This record gives sequence, structure tokens and C-alpha cells, in this order.
Amino acid sequence: MTTAQERVDLLNKIGLAAQNKATLGQVLGTGSIGQATEGSDGRMQATIRINPDELTWDPSILVMPHGGDIELELVNDDLNTHCALLPSNGDRKFIWLVNHSRGRATLNLDGPGYYWFGSPTGNDEGRGLTGAIVVMGDAPPEARLDRPEQPRP
Amino acid sequence: MTVAYVDAGEAVDQGNLSGKVAGGELAPPVVAGVDYERLLNAREEPRNWLTYYGAYNGQRYSPLDQINTENVKRIGPAWIFQAGTTGLIAGASTYSFEAAPIVVDGVMFLSGWDGWVWALDAKTGVEIWRYKHAVPFDVSLCCGNVNRGVAVARGKVFFVTANARLLALDATTGKRVWDRTYGDVRAAESATVAPLVVKNMVIVGSSGGEFGVRGHLDAFDLETGEHQWRCYTVPKPGEPGSETWPAEGEAWARGGANCWVTGTFDPETNLLYVGTGNPAPDFDGGVREGDNLFTDSVIAVDVDSGQIRWHYQCTPHDLWDYDSIAECILFEQDGRKLLGHFDKNGYFFVLDRTNGERVRITPFVDRITWGAITRDGQVTAKVYPDKEGEPIHFYPGPAGAKEWTHAAYSPKTELFYVPVQDTGATATRRRREFKESIPYWGAGVQVDIEDMAGSISAFDADGEEKWRWRNELPMCASVLATGGDLVFAGEPSGEFNALDARTGELLWQFQCGSGHHSNPTTYMVDDRQYIAVPVGWGGWAEGFLPGMLGAGHGSALLVFALPESS
Repeated sequence: MTTAQERVDLLNKIGLAAQNKATLGQVLGTGSIGQATEGSDGRMQATIRINPDELTWDPSILVMPHGGDIELELVNDDLNTHCALLPSNGDRKFIWLVNHSRGRATLNLDGPGYYWFGSPTGNDEGRGLTGAIVVMGDAPPEARLDRPEQPRP
Repeated sequence: MTVAYVDAGEAVDQGNLSGKVAGGELAPPVVAGVDYERLLNAREEPRNWLTYYGAYNGQRYSPLDQINTENVKRIGPAWIFQAGTTGLIAGASTYSFEAAPIVVDGVMFLSGWDGWVWALDAKTGVEIWRYKHAVPFDVSLCCGNVNRGVAVARGKVFFVTANARLLALDATTGKRVWDRTYGDVRAAESATVAPLVVKNMVIVGSSGGEFGVRGHLDAFDLETGEHQWRCYTVPKPGEPGSETWPAEGEAWARGGANCWVTGTFDPETNLLYVGTGNPAPDFDGGVREGDNLFTDSVIAVDVDSGQIRWHYQCTPHDLWDYDSIAECILFEQDGRKLLGHFDKNGYFFVLDRTNGERVRITPFVDRITWGAITRDGQVTAKVYPDKEGEPIHFYPGPAGAKEWTHAAYSPKTELFYVPVQDTGATATRRRREFKESIPYWGAGVQVDIEDMAGSISAFDADGEEKWRWRNELPMCASVLATGGDLVFAGEPSGEFNALDARTGELLWQFQCGSGHHSNPTTYMVDDRQYIAVPVGWGGWAEGFLPGMLGAGHGSALLVFALPESS
């Protein structure tokens, strides 16, 4: 049986969750996880950073409790220039993030489901700067099928 | 010492970084005047292509004749729109460019895959605005990240997203006006259909028949987005048609019958004519004994109430994935109001559209082995997945003798032009339990990669084949017929062809660089006729042509015209 701790140990032992160890970059989905905070007005907030020489988003999986608007603070603490292309209803949002910079993005996303975002320059995306935004929740009641509750996996 | 961060500012819309000229992102208000009256008479303004099929009758016919049998050999590309793709998207390996470009007085409205909608200058191809809906990467898609087009009316552009939303955009700016969810993505519902505007409503159907959902049509007020009605296409216990499902259990609740292709409409009968999809599980009939209404049927739906007035089931108790989602082409013969429907099961149905009465049934593909339908409508199944683990080979394969891609009808020649796929498949029954959101086929399926053929075949309303243009590969794209006596049809290998509508002779061909699986349309701007065809191979290629699974995806709209000096 594999436990969460064993997974972390194996990632580190093999070198999958870091730059230039087992793989050339960091395998997607092996980074940190964070949760957005929610204000009393339902708007959500989160900060996503790029740490020095990690070439990954921190968190690389950001969880929103439901669909709606989220305000992101994007911080590039790295010693290189990156950018961010982020999903949002209407158009994707783009921001250039030079070394040691801080910017903002406002996104509107449906739930449930998850979306990838990345740094579309060079092969930042392949090296590890591809992250996910997970939106929890369900379809609204009026959109659901008129049928008895069905079994799920 | 702490060094202050450089202020990177606020993220901007990616579309602002696409070379637009300031002020160029506003489309002229051409859609403001598109109302029900204009949609009813859409073919009286042949310069435009106002609705999915060009008109409510589903004929995919334009009377434009500037490009004709004499001069078509001189047409060439007028402009190309390259959409491209960025980042990780749902169905990254299966996206396809399937839409029917809509054109209103010089402005084209076009949807792509993955939530894209564009307004383009129909004369130059220059992008005016874009809308990009964020589509979840993990949305359930049976057959690829695809969308078949938009609808326009009263200043708005309507389209659906893969996560089962219906959106109304401002046609001048591309900004969202309203947004409604009409399907449950946790039940694996999705949406791919081009909406249809009728009266004050925008009408859409759901996708997800391979996941054991319950199909439905929905109507929304086009101004406010208020829900008007829902029409389920599988009855609940006690409702008409429920006797065709097992009395015990919940097979009906997972029954399928999704309406994932746009319907047609007759204002005189006030009926929508819609094809319904396969039952679920697709290939395991043992868990759903009975005819399984209203799967695989043509249904006539009262547009005001959403009630089914009559139905005609093309494949009772389907075991081969023979959706009847194909278009219902409205036409008249000897004063009788009829509809023509080329079904996946290989038969051409002509029905009286006032009451659903069968007029005639004729095969339109060479190889039909699954069973037979006699001229008096008797259906006999012959080979089908039955015993667990026993492979069964049959023709046509599950993509059908014609997939969703549309036939055309020319009132000038009084002929139907149908893209034919003559391909078989093997299905092996593998029973499984139903679990919400998990594919529910009840079989392992492999479509043939050898011994296949295709054609554009011309039939009269009596089902007599008048000519056939043969192709080595199945034909998997919609056909366009024009007043210039031309039939346009794209091939899976990239060629876009113009055929003589009266003889089937190949008159012109252009290699577009990717296979065709879309809806070409035609329009006119400043007295110049254009032929527009989205090109982007993909979708359920493993279903309709697995021998071309390795072909390159495209993502371009090609537009052809005669030289300006002509």
C-alpha cells in the first residue's frame, strides 16, 4: 500500500519533484498544494510564487472552493524572467513577470473541474511551470438530470 | 536590505496581444437587426449565412451562383484564418475544427474547439474580437474537444461550451451578456451543438450519450437567458414511451438519446425536427430490453411547449451505436410536406413531417450487415454483440454510413448529396456496472482500418441514386450545395472538392493541408462570393476513420473566391 508520505519520499528519492535530478525538469503535478481564501463577498484570493531556481509554481495546484472570481497575486522571486498565461472566462489573462516582480490577475472560472496555467516562454511549461487551478463544487440544481441518485466511482 | 518588487501590473486579455489596431475590436452592429422574421426568410438574403444550416429547412443550400460549373476551376484562397492552440487543453489530441461559419453583412461569427468564438471581417479574415471560455481540462468528452457553431440574433451570439454552458455574447464586442448551465458535468454531460434560434428562444441539446446520461433539449429566452422548457428524450416511468424500457431498475435514467446536432424547424407545423442519439450502454442491450424510446429517433417537438408530438424510431433497440442525430432536411414533393434523413444505420428515411408517417426507406450505402429494414419499415436485426466476449463484425461501423456531418439538398436539382462512409467495425460485448461519469459502452470496439470506401452520392427524393463520386476513404465532412450547380465536399486527406451537382464530375480541388470534418458555408461581400471551410482533422477519428488517426491536426479556416479581376 502506498501512503501519502511514501509518495513524497519516493518523489524525493528518485528526484521527480525537482530540477535536473531524475528528469530534466520537475514532473508536473508533483509540487505544492494551496487553497484559496474566500472573503465574505464570495470573492477568492490566493498568492502564487515562483521560487528561485525551482521553475515551478508554488502552489502548483491551487484549489478554489467553488466557481467564481479569484484575485491572484503572482510573485516572481526567481532570478530569471517568466510570465503567466491563466484561464479565465472571456479571454485568457497574460502577464509578464520579470525577475523579482509582483503582479496581479483577476480570473473568472466555472466549477467543477480543473484548468492548467503556465509560463509560455521557452519551455518553462515543460520544465515545471505548469500548474493547475482546481475548482470544486457541483452543477447548479436546475441543470442536473431528473433521475434518481446514481452510483459514482 | 529588502528590495522592493518590480510592479508587474495587472494581467491583460491575451487577445490584446494579437496585433489588433486600437478600435478595431468592435464589430459593426450587423446582428442587431437579425430577428425571427429574417431567420424565417434567411434564403432571401443569400449574401448571408444566418443560421447553422443556412436556413431552418436544413438544406445547406445557397442560391449564390457567381461561382459556378464554368468558372469554379479559377477559384483560389482569398484569405486564411489560423487559430492555433496554446497550452494544455481538454482533448488536446482530439480537438477538431467542425463549425459552420455564420456570416451577417460582412462579419463572420465562428466557433472553434475549447471555448473559442471569433468575429472576423468576412472580406479580409482580420480578427475583430475573440471570446475564450475557460473549459476544464478534465471535462468528459466522448468524441473530442469540438463545437459545431454559433447562432446569432438580436445583437447576440449564442454558443455552448464543453462544460455544458450556453452563453450569449454581445455581437459587437464579444463580451458575455448572460451565461446558463444546462448540463451536469459530474454526470459527464457536455455540449457541442450549434444553438438554434426560433422566435424568442435559443434551443440547445446535450451531449454525453456514451456515459449513460438522460438526453434533453432546453430552450432559453434569448434576451434574458430565462429557462423556457426542457424536453427529456427518454421518458420517466409512467410517461409515454416508458413501456419500451425495463419496468424494473433504472435503465431509463441512463438511457442516452442525446440531441447533439442542431434540429430543423417548420413554422407551418410549429415543430422542431430533431434526431436523437444512441441508447446507453451503446452495445449491451441485455440491460435495457425493449425498443428504448426515444433513442435513435426523429422526434417532432412543439417549439412553444417542448412537447414531443410524434416520433419515428430508425433503429429500435440499437446495438450498434446508430445515433439518429443526423439532420432532417425539409422539402416538398407533390405538395406533400416531407423530411429526408440519412441515418447512421445506412438507410435514407423520407417521412411526412406533419405526422411522422413513413413515406419510403432506401439504403444509401453498399454494405449493411447489421440487419435490414424493409420498405414497409420492418426492422430485423441480424448480427449484433450478444454473447459476452464474442467479437461481432458489422457494417456500417458505429460512426455510421454517415456520421453527424451533413448532407445537402438542392431545390434546383431536386437532389440530396450525402457524404458516405462505408466502413465496418467489430464489437465485443463486455458488460459493466454503471457508474456516473465513467464511459458506459458495454463493449470493446475496434473500427476497421482496411477495406473501406466513401463517396458523395446523389439521390432523388424517391431514393434513386443518380450519381456517385467515389473516394478511397470515407467522406467525413458536411456537403454544401449552391445555385451555381456545385457541390462542395472535403476529404479526410485534405482535398476540398467542387463537384458538378448534376453529374458528380470533379471540377476543382484544393489541398487544404488537413482533413475535413466541418461545415463549409458560402456568402457574399461587395458582390464577391466566398466559400468558407474550417479545416482541422480530429474528433472521433478512431470511430469514423481510424486509418487516419496519425494525420496532422489543423486549425485553419480557408476561404475561397474567384480572382478579383474576374
